Amino acid sequence: MTSFQSTLGEESGIAEELAESQQAISIAEFFEKNKHMLGFDSGARGLVTAVKEAVDNALDAAEEAGILPDIYVEIQESGDYYKLIVEDNGPGLTKESLPKVFGKLLYGSRFHAREQSRGQQGIGISAAVLYSQLTSGKPAKITSRTQGSSEAEYFELIVDTDENEPEISVEETTSWDRPHGTRIELEMEGNMRARQQLHDYIKHTAVVNPHARLELKEPNAHFKFERGTDQLPEETEEIRPHPHGVELGTVIKMLSATDSQTISGFLQEEFTRVGKKTADSVIDAFRDRHYGREMRWSSPDDTEDVDVGAAVSEATANKGADATAAFADAIADAVADRERIAHHELIDLVAEAADAVEDEHGTAFGETVQENAGGAVWSALIDAPEETADPDESAVEESRLVTDCYELADAATSTRKDDAVIHGFASRLAAKFEDEDDERHRLTRSQLREHVDRAADLTEEYDEVSFGDTARENVTEAVWDVMVTVPDDPPLVRELSGDRDATSDLVDAMRATDIMAPPTRCLSPITDDLIEAGLEKEFDADFYAAATRDAEVHSGDPFVVEAGIAYGGEIPAEGSADVLRFANRVPLVYQRGACATTDVVKSIGWRNYGLDQPGGSGLPNGPAVIMVHVASTNVPFTSESKDAVANVPAIEDEIELAIREAARELKSFLNKRRSMEKRRKKQNVLGKILPEMAEKVAEVTDREEPEIDDAIARIMNNVLVERHCEANGDGQAVSVVVENHSSTNESLEVTDIVSAEPRNLSDGATAVEMDGEWFVKWEPEVSSEDEAVLEYEVDNDAAFDLDVKGVESAKLTVTDQ
Amino acid sequence: MSAENDQQAREQLLDLAAQFYDQFELGEIPHMSVPTRTKSNIEYDEQKDVWVYGDRESTRSANSVRGARKLLKAVYTIEFLANQLEQDRSSTLRELYYLSESWDNTEAQFNDQDESNGLIEDLEIVSGVTREDFHMRPEESGATIMGPLHLREQTRRGEREIHCQEDVGEGGYQIPNNPDTIEFLDTDADFILAVETGGMRDRLVENGFDEEYNALIVHLKGQPARATRRITKRLHDELDLPVTVFADGDPWSYRIYGSVAYGSIKSAHLSEYLATPEAQYIGIQPADIVEYDLPTDPLSDSDINALESELEDPRFQTDYWEEQIELQLEIGKKSEQQSLAARGLDFVTETYLPERLSEMNVI
Repeated sequence: MTSFQSTLGEESGIAEELAESQQAISIAEFFEKNKHMLGFDSGARGLVTAVKEAVDNALDAAEEAGILPDIYVEIQESGDYYKLIVEDNGPGLTKESLPKVFGKLLYGSRFHAREQSRGQQGIGISAAVLYSQLTSGKPAKITSRTQGSSEAEYFELIVDTDENEPEISVEETTSWDRPHGTRIELEMEGNMRARQQLHDYIKHTAVVNPHARLELKEPNAHFKFERGTDQLPEETEEIRPHPHGVELGTVIKMLSATDSQTISGFLQEEFTRVGKKTADSVIDAFRDRHYGREMRWSSPDDTEDVDVGAAVSEATANKGADATAAFADAIADAVADRERIAHHELIDLVAEAADAVEDEHGTAFGETVQENAGGAVWSALIDAPEETADPDESAVEESRLVTDCYELADAATSTRKDDAVIHGFASRLAAKFEDEDDERHRLTRSQLREHVDRAADLTEEYDEVSFGDTARENVTEAVWDVMVTVPDDPPLVRELSGDRDATSDLVDAMRATDIMAPPTRCLSPITDDLIEAGLEKEFDADFYAAATRDAEVHSGDPFVVEAGIAYGGEIPAEGSADVLRFANRVPLVYQRGACATTDVVKSIGWRNYGLDQPGGSGLPNGPAVIMVHVASTNVPFTSESKDAVANVPAIEDEIELAIREAARELKSFLNKRRSMEKRRKKQNVLGKILPEMAEKVAEVTDREEPEIDDAIARIMNNVLVERHCEANGDGQAVSVVVENHSSTNESLEVTDIVSAEPRNLSDGATAVEMDGEWFVKWEPEVSSEDEAVLEYEVDNDAAFDLDVKGVESAKLTVTDQ
Repeated sequence: MSAENDQQAREQLLDLAAQFYDQFELGEIPHMSVPTRTKSNIEYDEQKDVWVYGDRESTRSANSVRGARKLLKAVYTIEFLANQLEQDRSSTLRELYYLSESWDNTEAQFNDQDESNGLIEDLEIVSGVTREDFHMRPEESGATIMGPLHLREQTRRGEREIHCQEDVGEGGYQIPNNPDTIEFLDTDADFILAVETGGMRDRLVENGFDEEYNALIVHLKGQPARATRRITKRLHDELDLPVTVFADGDPWSYRIYGSVAYGSIKSAHLSEYLATPEAQYIGIQPADIVEYDLPTDPLSDSDINALESELEDPRFQTDYWEEQIELQLEIGKKSEQQSLAARGLDFVTETYLPERLSEMNVI
């Protein structure tokens, strides 16, 4: 590298020369050179990313307009290039905004909104346009028709990378068969090596957007994904920022922009989840940080040689003996009533006493008198050394602050500490208070900690003992708890806006205050039902489960995690389970290994949930699909290409809980299935052995073969439904008996379809005629080892058909004669 | 054995099958209960002076796949036994096991001979008919008697009268599988000497011990077969002969004595019929090892385990056995019967046995 240092002395103006080559770069130019940041790093990937951006845009557009999305994606081979066409049925774009949406980077409605949406920065689709013009040199061809307009607008445009503005080459009206919507056609360099990712992306999009109809046509394949529901995702609402998630710079900006006068008003106006009470808490926390707290010293008790009354009397002159005495008594009593007292509390109390005595004696105690009295009492309380006192004497007699400090320190430190050491520490800490310039003994927490540290350091030095960090922290905490927030008025907004330090105190105070989590109406989770519907739609499995967690907050942004699991059926059993990752309803296709979702799935002990997991960690094996959706006003991604969710602990925890919730359902399904399998096996074997045994027994005893259904039902803990018919005059008496040999209560739904009208139905059963057949419905509840009987009469020639529901088929034995 | 007896046994078996039939018809789970055949479930019957099964029962129920298979096999076996009795045939336990292979139902076939043996025991207990009355016999018995005894045996080829000294060769009279077909005619014997090993039996016969002392020498051949125990019991009961047992000085031999005297755990249901509680143990006692300074082997781990488990065995909880077993554990040694040869071939007949027998007041 050339060293300019060596030439500094010889040539002047080097800085100017260098400055000449420095110039502003447009955002479009920057991304032109850094395509990988947006996911356009290779031809294969570029195509997938372009599809992704276009589809995300289309979905957002349709949903915002309350339209069920219907999206068509086509990829055509076009010479050396690929042509990508994406059509939607969205509301269409106006002539004015259309070029900007597609031809200007960082143009969008999303960036400033705290609301869940797929795109956020307004980079995506214009970056795809940029990528296409860079690789093929061809403009983007866009058609858009707004609802109700008779014609569609047609544009051909490129991004002017110098200016970051759209450059329109063709602008005309055209006809289009869609009543409303937008169509974009991009030609770009690319290849279909990432075909699998492309298919995955479309399929996974269909899973999390069961309300959307998707179609993908590419040179080798054509898929249609029909809707699973007609229910649009709930509309989201924009929210104000949450106090826990804003940075100092943002607050400074907000302070200068707000109309509020007071901090309380500012907090309530500009932030979500802040009312009067919360604002007060924040302001108290702010006072503690900004002004510090005042130390409350213990009030003197009888044994102490502190005469509050005398101090008042001495400091009060010319007020008459009675009034003075009453004033002194009132103060002395009020002080004695309190366990501990801080300076401002004393001042208030003196004022109260003054008012009371004035009411009674008619003598006014003015501000100066009050000040004198308060000062005198405070001095007495904190044992301020008198000017005239002999220094030797004060050294002998111990300050009463030491006793206070000793009590606090002794309670806060471990019992192993030597009494003398605590005492030494206490007197040093008390001395720090006495040395305080501010007689009110006002300290912030960090100042207090400094005092404690200093006293502890000295103690370590002189007493040669260790006074560790935990002990120091405990003492600080104990003293801080005793100290009290001061009543000073907080500064006004305009005072605050110029004061960086005070604002910083405010931000700290906001973070330290407990505030309700942000509202979730800004989020639109898929909901567990629709996740199951989505999985059912795209995966032919035996079992589906889903869980949607309650909203949580990470750095001020609310988020919701949802998980779903599909198991068995047609899902391939070989290899490890598929993990589908989603953020704000967008499938994440790349960088699986870097994603928090994958990390969490791997960290779960899947064996507990009945899945095979080699080595007890990592992805589980077997026919399973695990999907995780993170929805947030601001999903933290590892990079701008938005391929992987960053490892934020709060989000990871929620992902884990959501997956475990769904996995618990999977576990009980698998357990049940295993026990049913076992039961089936047993039933199969016994179903063979017992009839053989019965046959043999009959042979040996030379009798008819015995009836064995009851015995089998009992052995299998089964529910047995049997019909008995008995001639009864002209017709026959029919009884359907339900015997419950299982260990639980069973609710059955028995339908007997009879070809003739049944008479004298027993209680609880109904008969409905339908096309010459009578449906006898009966819903008995039979407890364990009990039986229930349905009885009716019917003509002799009637035919029956018994149907039983409500009991698993493996547990059910129906004997229909 | 009379045809009447056979008919009765057959009916007992068919009753059992009928019981299963009725259970099916009543909608019950087919089952049968048998006493649990373990050491912890045998108790002393003071009236009969033998060890019998206690109250604990195991149920063979069709409730489980295993139980259902067992019952299926039981029904097939019942059919087989009933047919066998009807045709007046007999078969061995091992034959039953192989025969099951020919059954049309593979589920009913036995997996191993222990299973078929166990099932026969179950059926004995439940029906109250002995195996012999089912015409089931063990594969080999081969135990013999040598001594002054005249008897009549009911054989398939007619009645035979045999004198167990004069009418037999060196090998002695072979005990039939069902000793109840024997009628004792006359005896000059003074006592019964049951001997564990063939070598010792041959030594006693060679030395003419049976003639000299009027002893009935019964060869136990290791753990005695039921027939051997049954004939010993009958000889004792019917001819009023004292029974002595002469075995090796190790824990396994004590068990041989135990099954002669008290009955075995597996056939405790037949104790009354098989056991001779008055039987006395001659030796080799652990005390003899010390007294006669016999050549020894050290106790192996399994020997020690066996001795310790005998200390817990209700059948061995007498002062005599506790003393002997504890002594043996203390010296840590065991001796065989034939170790007496260390003192000369005639030592056993001229010194050891006369001394022990007179100590025991048998001669």
